[in-house]
Amino acid sequence: MANQLLEVKGVDVSYGDIQVLWDVSLQVEEGTIVALVGANGAGKTTLLKTISGLLRVRKGEILFSGENLHNFKPQEIVDRGVIHVPEGRRLFASLTVMENLKLGAYVPRTRPFFAESLERVFSLFPALKNRKEQKAGTLSGGEQQMLAIGRAVMARPKLIMLDEPSLGLSPILVKTIFGLLSTLNEQKTTILLVEQNVNQALKIAHQAYVMKTGKIVMCGKGCDLLVDEEVRKAYIGERAIKRKG
Amino acid sequence: MKNNINFPEQSSSARDPSNLLKSFMPLKFQRKHINITVIVLAVIAFGTLPFYVNVDSFFAYYLFICFLYIILAQGWNLVAGYTGQISLGTHAFFALGAYTTAIIWLHNITHTWYYFDPLVMVLSGVVPAIFAIIIGIPTLSRLRGDYFSFGTLAAAEILRIVILRGGKFTEGAMGLRLPGTGFTTMGIYYWTALLLAVLATAAVYFITRSRIGLALKAINEDETSAASHGIHILQYKVFAFAIGSFITGICGSLYAYYLFMINPLAVMNLNWMFLPILICVLGGNGTVLGPIIGAFVIGALFSYGDVLLGQVHPMLSGILIILVMKFLPTGLVGLKDRISHRR
Amino acid sequence: MVLIIQDIVNGILLGTMYGTAAIGLSLVFGTMRIVFIAQGSVIVFFAYLCYWLFHLLGVDPYLSLILIVPVALLLGAAFYYGLFKEAAALKDRIGSLLIAVGLMFFLENLMTVVWTPNPRAVVTSYGFYAFNLFGINLTLTRLIGLLIAILATLGVFIFLTKTLIGTAVRATSEDVEASTLMGINPDRVNAVAFAIGIGLAAIAGINFASTYSFDPIYGFDVALKALIALTLGGIGTVYGALLGGIILGVIETLGVYFVGSAWAQAICYAVFFLTLTLRPNGLFGRTS
Repeated sequence: MANQLLEVKGVDVSYGDIQVLWDVSLQVEEGTIVALVGANGAGKTTLLKTISGLLRVRKGEILFSGENLHNFKPQEIVDRGVIHVPEGRRLFASLTVMENLKLGAYVPRTRPFFAESLERVFSLFPALKNRKEQKAGTLSGGEQQMLAIGRAVMARPKLIMLDEPSLGLSPILVKTIFGLLSTLNEQKTTILLVEQNVNQALKIAHQAYVMKTGKIVMCGKGCDLLVDEEVRKAYIGERAIKRKG
Repeated sequence: MKNNINFPEQSSSARDPSNLLKSFMPLKFQRKHINITVIVLAVIAFGTLPFYVNVDSFFAYYLFICFLYIILAQGWNLVAGYTGQISLGTHAFFALGAYTTAIIWLHNITHTWYYFDPLVMVLSGVVPAIFAIIIGIPTLSRLRGDYFSFGTLAAAEILRIVILRGGKFTEGAMGLRLPGTGFTTMGIYYWTALLLAVLATAAVYFITRSRIGLALKAINEDETSAASHGIHILQYKVFAFAIGSFITGICGSLYAYYLFMINPLAVMNLNWMFLPILICVLGGNGTVLGPIIGAFVIGALFSYGDVLLGQVHPMLSGILIILVMKFLPTGLVGLKDRISHRR
Repeated sequence: MVLIIQDIVNGILLGTMYGTAAIGLSLVFGTMRIVFIAQGSVIVFFAYLCYWLFHLLGVDPYLSLILIVPVALLLGAAFYYGLFKEAAALKDRIGSLLIAVGLMFFLENLMTVVWTPNPRAVVTSYGFYAFNLFGINLTLTRLIGLLIAILATLGVFIFLTKTLIGTAVRATSEDVEASTLMGINPDRVNAVAFAIGIGLAAIAGINFASTYSFDPIYGFDVALKALIALTLGGIGTVYGALLGGIILGVIETLGVYFVGSAWAQAICYAVFFLTLTLRPNGLFGRTS
């Protein structure tokens, strides 16, 4: 049986008195891409925030390589190799590209490999190399997304969790980004991908989960869900079905 | 096997004893009426106190200080608690009130009785209010609150220098001495202070319950939203600031009558800036009752503390505000809510 | 004519004192939005420490930096964890201002009780030594003050831009949540910034002690001047505090020359007021 890198078991999460996640369970097998799709407000971002330690777990377990991350501080979770690329990228706009990347390798565990990681980032994203000293806030949307992913790569991640990387990007850029994610995955990085662009996400995902109002409602192989009637009707829409034709 | 049955959470009000009590009382005796009765009783109690307690005792002095602090605090409370603007210039308005009283009296400006003369006191409130409007308009038009705070601080320090260099008008560091003699007993000071404390509290109460108060609350919560609803932000902020300074000025006037000799050290030292902040924060910012509770506590600290702890007690006021901000940011008034929420 | 130039020079030197006092304030406010109005009282506190080290143990004030600055760094961290941690997390400007006011009152009164209200000054053997350059008098201690101010500004600049922790400080001040996702512990990073702020206060205090006389309640005036310097120079740039201080110093000394010392103070406060209302981002600051 393949190694489950991340196991979320029966997790409940609340904002104050309002419960937002109900008994959520999912697994991410090592070396795969897992997609988490669903409509706006389904709870996908909340789940990522819980895994990365920004939110507390009310009930349930989150196991990473067998270790329970229960209510660890975000810094400790980053130290374990779980890197969360948040929604909207959240780059440090007033800092340069280089400084953002340096901060990606803030955790001591990553620092001995700084030069190596930097090489890797620049080979994956050559555009960033040319803009090393530019302030992050002045980059284009696509470049910003690349920087955000590059920043995550600097942390020598075992698992990268991306929240809506396609947000605000043109279709061509989206394809590029997703191509890069596949490349990363080929380089043995496990990826948990939250997306509203269900089509693209399911295309590269090995496994996928569908979330609705705080619960997991469906799960299966990426390719299976891609052709599933319900999923297509709810999330992909008529035009895509026609195109697939 | 997981238990899927969910019991709805019992609402806390069901267990609240006061609700139980309410169910036994006839509809007439609502919260509002209980409050008013308590207030009236309290005022009567304080008002008649001099008849059974020696008005020249330390206890009466303590109460006088409390009333003084209530006036001072309510003035600051109106600006800070309800508009969210922290004024660091209270000592300037206080001093202006005191000096206005002294100067009017010394120069025989209004040709009236002068002793606790309402006209003189009102004028002693008007002058600071005008000053407040002058510095309020440029500083309150900014969205950032700390600019207002520092603006009041700067203006206060400028005023201090003006007073020190005021020549014959203010007699500089030596200060002014009110003509005539003071009263030999505390009685009239006590009752005037009590009256003014009641009036100040009532003023704040009615302003906050009025349309103006509603507008102020809206501004406090979300300025841009309030502006988009047509509320002229600057007008309301300056108005609140002016009224608050008016009240502070009258407090200064009262203090001048009490002290009879006023100078910058006595009426413009930083304590008068710090005290209302401490009182309101301790009692509960943005409430009508908070400053009153705070005044009684701080009054005790500064009157009894002065006697019992001597030099040490000013340090305690610094520690006190730190403790309150850290552990009790809603003040003593909020303490009740916090306890009931714990259940 | 020479007199005016002498005044301007003195003003610049005085201004670097204000600048040194303001740099710590700038760091703390720029990163945590805490208006640390107690900075002045802290500066006076360290001036007292310097004084007592000098009088009881004969330690030269500038050498005492070696002893006092580490203490200051620890104290700064303690202040952060003990007093300001919660307020910084909530970006609660009013709360942190009030806590700072409380601290200021506490320190002022503590010093008044423990060390009496009498003014003190550190008078060294070289304290009055002065150079004469083209007819302009330059006191040694004030020149050292200038040097210290420049070094301090440079130091903070290097810290913020060239070190990893400094970069982390800047990142945390921009976006706390994102910085935690980098593995940065925001409290630890803020504590470092605060500690350096207090360390700078110690440096300013020692600078002060060697040049002027001081008493416990002087802290408020110093804090006010530092605040004015900071406002003039603007938030967002490291050198803003120093430049703001210099401008303030020149305004003050020229003011003394033309209208006397008391009104010169009034002019300083008036400049403060005008800057707040007309150009709140200062002369060199960035619009945030």
